Amino acid sequence: MGRRLGVVGGQLPASLILIGTLLLAACQSGGQQPTASAARITIALGSEPTTLDPLARDDGNERAVTDNIYETLIKRTADGKLEPGLATAMPTQVNPTTWEFKLRRGIKFTDGEPLNADAVVATVQRVLDPSFKSEQLSFLGSITGAKKVDETTVDIISRDPNPLVPASMYWLRIAPPRALRDPNFASKPVGTGPYVLEQWVKGDHITLKANPNYWGPKPPIQEVTYRFVEEPGTRLSGLLNGEFDLIENLSPDDASRAPKVATVDGGQNSLVILNTMSGITADPRVRAALNYAVDKQALASKLFDGYATVENCQFMSPDWFGYNPSLQPIPYDPTRAKQLLQEANATGASIDLTSTSGRWLKDREETEAIADYWRAVGLKVNVSILEFNDYLNRLFDQKNRPQAIFLDHDNALFDASRTMDAYFARGGTGTSNNDPQLTQLVNAGDKELNQQARLQDYQQAAKIACDGSYFTFLVRLKDVYGLSKRLVWRPRTDGKIFVSEMRLTS
Amino acid sequence: MLRFVLQRIGYGAVVIVLVGVVVFVVTHLVTNPVQAMLPLEASAAQRRALTHQLGLDRPLPVQFVDYVTHVSRLDFGTSLWQRRPALQIIGERLPYTLELVMVAMVVASALGLLLGAVAALRPGGLVDRLIVTLSVAGLSVPQFWLGLLLIVLFAVNLHWLPTSGAGDLRYLVLPVVTLAMPSIANLAMMVRSSMIDELNQQYVRFAVAKGLGRARVVGVHALRNASIPALTLAGWELIRALAGYTVVVEVVFGWPGLGHLAMDAIERQDITLLQAIVLVVAVMVVVINVAIDVLYKAIDPRVNLG
Repeated sequence: MGRRLGVVGGQLPASLILIGTLLLAACQSGGQQPTASAARITIALGSEPTTLDPLARDDGNERAVTDNIYETLIKRTADGKLEPGLATAMPTQVNPTTWEFKLRRGIKFTDGEPLNADAVVATVQRVLDPSFKSEQLSFLGSITGAKKVDETTVDIISRDPNPLVPASMYWLRIAPPRALRDPNFASKPVGTGPYVLEQWVKGDHITLKANPNYWGPKPPIQEVTYRFVEEPGTRLSGLLNGEFDLIENLSPDDASRAPKVATVDGGQNSLVILNTMSGITADPRVRAALNYAVDKQALASKLFDGYATVENCQFMSPDWFGYNPSLQPIPYDPTRAKQLLQEANATGASIDLTSTSGRWLKDREETEAIADYWRAVGLKVNVSILEFNDYLNRLFDQKNRPQAIFLDHDNALFDASRTMDAYFARGGTGTSNNDPQLTQLVNAGDKELNQQARLQDYQQAAKIACDGSYFTFLVRLKDVYGLSKRLVWRPRTDGKIFVSEMRLTS
Repeated sequence: MLRFVLQRIGYGAVVIVLVGVVVFVVTHLVTNPVQAMLPLEASAAQRRALTHQLGLDRPLPVQFVDYVTHVSRLDFGTSLWQRRPALQIIGERLPYTLELVMVAMVVASALGLLLGAVAALRPGGLVDRLIVTLSVAGLSVPQFWLGLLLIVLFAVNLHWLPTSGAGDLRYLVLPVVTLAMPSIANLAMMVRSSMIDELNQQYVRFAVAKGLGRARVVGVHALRNASIPALTLAGWELIRALAGYTVVVEVVFGWPGLGHLAMDAIERQDITLLQAIVLVVAVMVVVINVAIDVLYKAIDPRVNLG
């Protein structure tokens, strides 16, 4: 570096003083001590909602906020049972493709429009409109429209007999027709729920305040602010520093550090889909061995620190429709696994296990643990951890099914049809078997209107898949939340975060 | 001079076009937004339908021509996730990033210059060795880790500062320190070595011999000359902060800036938003580059940058 003429040197002392003042001011104003207002809380979400339009996207962060602004015809109890919401009672089936809902009278949206059949029709039309490109259609099954019968009666119509309509209506948040036509609807939500939008500072926070005209019981929490913090370490720090009252997806490793932890048996079940059509996994003895080989209890208690339970051989949660309570986990029995592999002449054979990393809690670690258990009984296991998009390409590849692919499954509909359409039946996005009986049972159940017969179809399918070891059945994760000392809240099995169900200790 | 400036701008434009093409091709080849948008259990037919509605099933060249046509009208498309104009979203977030980067760079320049100059006064002395060691540490510490460390220390343990988010000045302190750290270290090292050079120059000895005070010789004459190479380096640090470091720092501190937005766009495979962010950042980098070159030439007409 040679010498050059100086022109900037003279300006530097000024900037020094400026910065010194800045830092000084920053230090003097002291730390963040949240003002102890009784009815105000802050929730840290992992990411900012992409929109506040309740019909557009499949986005859990959006739902976390809009579930408090909008309401549904049908809702669930904290334990997952369906019950009437904006409807006065559970719907009645007037013919195989039509469900009739009676609406509560006297409810108004926050813009003054009444909750009536027109609002339901407008909402259904909006979500089904192809040009609206809703990502929620997979939750609505074969619903084709809605028809007003009178002011407070509305029919939901589907193409095929659709037993899922009541469950689907827990998904459909009802909005008023006039607001739906507003081009700014996505940032100006208008619902019937206990909270209304107060402020949305893009990228930083959303604040809701209690709806003064709410038709139901007044919620104890008056104001809730959502902050968006991606990094789990920062979320936990914010909780410890008293900035947040609730953080989601607390890692089991961090749970002991949180002021208070709330857990609920969640809906995430891990499994490995086995290819029953080709390779060594076509042999049911090998598939059974792959189940006997894995110590599920150790995964639950060691890998997940007890924030998981061994699931009952069906990767469904007990509160889902179609769950088979008679199935039991396949025990951990490495001797039996070795023996079965020997009988199948598969000892020393190699198996490809596909998985991804960073998508689900400890997905890579769980995959590696499974691979080690399989190695311990005498298999060569080639693990490939793929980037999520490549992983999905592999999972959805219909021509060349992966031999064994790890997956964390959850089912927001709480209905076996969603699980089994995707992983049991022919044509499912992740189906790796060609058992005609499974496909037949699932297809029958999807259209069966008699609830008892429908339940039997799914439970029968689950039993076949368990008996035939079509999958390696693993563990069910608990949802883990970190709470501030002052917040009282019981998490729900459906993962919804209703602020109206929270309160503060006095 | 005008020709020089125009030439620089011309090169910059070529760079921006190349970046645009590469980003378009790469995002379209390695992503599948529809897979990321729909739930895993959505049917193949539903995936196909959304792909069609978004126009992503058209041949790549057709999509490219469409993209170029729109961008040439300054229409950067609609974010797949937010369904709003990408440029509008960027406009909401960019001020946060500029605030963070500007303050961090002022801090870095000031501290870098000060520490470098102090270290150069007595090379090999205790103060010098301390500053050099700290600089090496500042350069080698991962910002991700540094950020979390500062949060644990100043927010969780001391309760002096908030952990994350944007707001008053207190929210700015930790992200600024984290972002500025490698730049402070880099600048301090650079200023130190050029300062040592300067102090050994004959004009300095002459000035001292003439009886000028040491403070004036060091503080005005030597520091002024030593700070010129630092200017170029500061420009580079600015570019690196703007086009890279902010991603980590903003994610760690939940800072609502452009880097955080870029991270979200990548995770969600929001390719239109990502393309727009990359183009906007590319334009900023090119503008800063041209400015540095021009400034450099203005300072020292002997500089021949081609």
